[in-house]
Amino acid sequence: MNNSPILRTVVRVAVPITIIVSLRIFFQGHSQPGGGFIAGVLVAAAGAMYLLGFGIERAARWAWWKISVIGLLVSVFTGTVPLLLGRSFMDHAVWQRHLPVMGDIHLSSAILFDVGVYLIVFGTLMTIFVELGQEGR
Amino acid sequence: MSDLEHVLPAIVFLPFVVAIFTLLVGRLIGRQAGWLMVLSSVTAFAGSLWLFIHQQVHDRVVPVFTFAWLPDLNIHLNLRADPFGLFFAMLIAGIGVLVGIYSLGYIPRLATGRIGRYYAALIGFMGSMLGIALADDLFLLFVFWEVTSITSFLLIGFWYEQDKARKGALTALQITALGGLAMMAGFVLVGEATGTYQISMLASQEVLRQQLADSPLFMPALLLVFVGAFTKSAQVPFHFWLPNAMVAPTPVSTYLHAATMVKAGVFLIGRMLPIFNQSACWSPILITVGLLTFFVGAYQAFRENDLKGMLARTTISTLGLVMMIYGLNAASQDALQIFNHAAYKGALFLVVGIVEHATHTRDIRNLGGLRKKMPTVFVLCLLSGLSMAGLPPFFGFIAKEALYAELLHNVFLHNRPFLQWFVIGTCVLANAFIFAVSFRLIFGVFLGPLSDKAQDVHPPCAFLWIPPAILAVVTVAVGISSAWPSTQNLMNMLSSEVHAEVHVSLFPSVDHLGPLILSCCTIGIGILIFKARGVVGQAQRQFDLLPAMQTVWDGFLNGVTWFAECFVHHWQNGSMRWYFSAILLFFVGLSILAISYFRLSFDLVPISLSQMPWSGLSLCVLLVITVVTVVVAQTRLGAAIALTATGFLVALIFVVYRSPDILLTQILIESVSTIFILLILFYMPSFKKDRLRPAQKMLNLGISCAVGVTMFIFVLFATSLPFRETENLAGEYLSRAFHGAGGQNAVNVIIVDFRAVDTMGEITVLVVVGLCIFGLLRTRRRMQL
Repeated sequence: MNNSPILRTVVRVAVPITIIVSLRIFFQGHSQPGGGFIAGVLVAAAGAMYLLGFGIERAARWAWWKISVIGLLVSVFTGTVPLLLGRSFMDHAVWQRHLPVMGDIHLSSAILFDVGVYLIVFGTLMTIFVELGQEGR
Repeated sequence: MSDLEHVLPAIVFLPFVVAIFTLLVGRLIGRQAGWLMVLSSVTAFAGSLWLFIHQQVHDRVVPVFTFAWLPDLNIHLNLRADPFGLFFAMLIAGIGVLVGIYSLGYIPRLATGRIGRYYAALIGFMGSMLGIALADDLFLLFVFWEVTSITSFLLIGFWYEQDKARKGALTALQITALGGLAMMAGFVLVGEATGTYQISMLASQEVLRQQLADSPLFMPALLLVFVGAFTKSAQVPFHFWLPNAMVAPTPVSTYLHAATMVKAGVFLIGRMLPIFNQSACWSPILITVGLLTFFVGAYQAFRENDLKGMLARTTISTLGLVMMIYGLNAASQDALQIFNHAAYKGALFLVVGIVEHATHTRDIRNLGGLRKKMPTVFVLCLLSGLSMAGLPPFFGFIAKEALYAELLHNVFLHNRPFLQWFVIGTCVLANAFIFAVSFRLIFGVFLGPLSDKAQDVHPPCAFLWIPPAILAVVTVAVGISSAWPSTQNLMNMLSSEVHAEVHVSLFPSVDHLGPLILSCCTIGIGILIFKARGVVGQAQRQFDLLPAMQTVWDGFLNGVTWFAECFVHHWQNGSMRWYFSAILLFFVGLSILAISYFRLSFDLVPISLSQMPWSGLSLCVLLVITVVTVVVAQTRLGAAIALTATGFLVALIFVVYRSPDILLTQILIESVSTIFILLILFYMPSFKKDRLRPAQKMLNLGISCAVGVTMFIFVLFATSLPFRETENLAGEYLSRAFHGAGGQNAVNVIIVDFRAVDTMGEITVLVVVGLCIFGLLRTRRRMQL
């Protein structure tokens, strides 16, 4: 399975595209279909493609679960900051500006929470891929 | 007064700070950490003493510290320094100083980290005991109470390499923590009945006490608090944990099991006396349990051959005595009895520790003749032992005289002459046994011919003999000085009763002949028992009082384990099918409950089959076909492909109903789970059909159908009117999504903002699942290697 040149060639092209698409889906999440969860699944799919094409050995050296733990910390952090500022848990702030070229920009602190979700989904799925993939080896 | 009240939290919480500091630096300073214990206990003692003196000089105003801890639950961090609490605090801190010094000489050269942990636990224990002494809130008292249980567990299990130490520590923790929980339940009931947890308020306000006494919760609360006190103070039938806890290092036994922790139960009863003593059950229960413990402890102590076991059992006995005193409403002499016991018993424990340290044995049959080898220790043991025996002019004599005087003049007993003479007789007999025990201790260890074990012992270092010497001096000094009224006044001042008037004197007057005669009887019988110790020992082997409590407890624990094993074997039998059936049936039951609770029916469902577009219908037909294919597939690959097809068909349904967000998610999830399934399939054993009995097949079919039908109905009902009462819920979300949260994708805004806490829970579960899979598979692979 690992030695197919066709698969490798496809993966080389497909993985960067998938990652870019996932980022795009992530950032459009606030106003169009998308968001941290789907984007995380998508980037994990890219990771899975990579694993299928190039084998699991190199990826197995990584502690993928750490990514999900970092994600959880990011999410908890976003939730806790308003608590420290005397507002309720998970209260998000919205930052709106009009920039010359990019037009109206809405930056919500909710996006940081979504980053956490993104990392968690990606990290957990990769952990499962890598660990299952190593079974029986 | 404002400065004064801040001394209180400093006394209680400084030890905890020092304990954490000790834990951190323990590895570096090792045995020197003992000085931290000495330092913190000296500070606490000085603080308590200062508060006490200040209080006596300035109009007896009681300093109170208040801090709103959990105001919504009416639980406050209240500390209060009444004389009895301060007496207890001074006792704790004072003995703490001595135990700290003693430990410096006693604890051997072990790994520094371990010694640091020992001192940290000891200091933490002292802090929590001080908390018990000064707490004025039932819940605060409970918290400190449980901290003492935990720290005592750590301290008893200091020699954790030994099986016995682990078991002793565990038994002590189980019994005392269990009692602590019962006590907490009692406190909750008190709070429910009166609306306050403040001890001083409950004790002083007649209205609250009446309210409590009239409440139906009164009796349960009283009994639960009793359980807490009896377990902590090792009363019958919970007494067996204390001798088992003697596996602790001797300073720990001295501190926990002679001077302070076991007295917490007695102290609690002293605190509860003004709250509960109107109850008709108060005196009968306390007198019965106290008297029984008093006698059984003394009786068993004489039989014991282990030195610390002897002392532990006499401790149990004395605790029973104090319980009985509270039962007789004679709280005026509680401080006297507690102080007396702490002084002589603390010294004796420390002396036994020295003997064990030098000879490496605690068995009285292997000891003897140590008089010549360590004369200082012999004198200390003699002074404290004679005080325990109750001989004049020692403190123990005074305390015993006070007890007999109370028994002769007590109001409760005065109306019940038969009971009075029974109690007096039993007390005399128990005291005679204690007399015999102390003589056996002195004669067996220090007099007689020199034993083999004691051939090459060396005198103890100063750290070891100074602390018991201080206690022995106290014993003698209080005993002799009691001839002056100022000592009596001090003792009366310290007791939990406000206007205590106990008159004791070394020199008997005509009025006090009764107690003196009883004392003489005690000494006479005691000498008889000691002289006839061979015969008595023989008789005791024949007639054993309450030997079985340990067996009962072990049986109970085994029963719990047996039940747990049965339960696990039955419910967690490793069959995936069984687990799924249980989970799904639970879901079905829950759904039926919800449907009946909300009174849902088909009439309320606003949608009908005729409204469905043909594309949706045909997709449903295709879905049914693929699902059936999954079930009947002959190979794993076939089943996997059919399952993937099912997923994508569901995705198409979202196309029909125009929900792009969920569509996107569904497609991605399907793709990824297909990869999962392929990964798993690669390593799975070949597919084989289960050969199930027809009955089993029918059951499985039944469960599947029930789940399917319930799910269908439940989803259908979810669209019904009661759930759509806020018809514009969707509109509400849509409008608020942009203005409130700055996003146009309402689904995403709901996930990350409106219901962010739910998402928080979900992603936490996701992380935990990932970690579990990682841990399980890694561990399994490592075990296979």
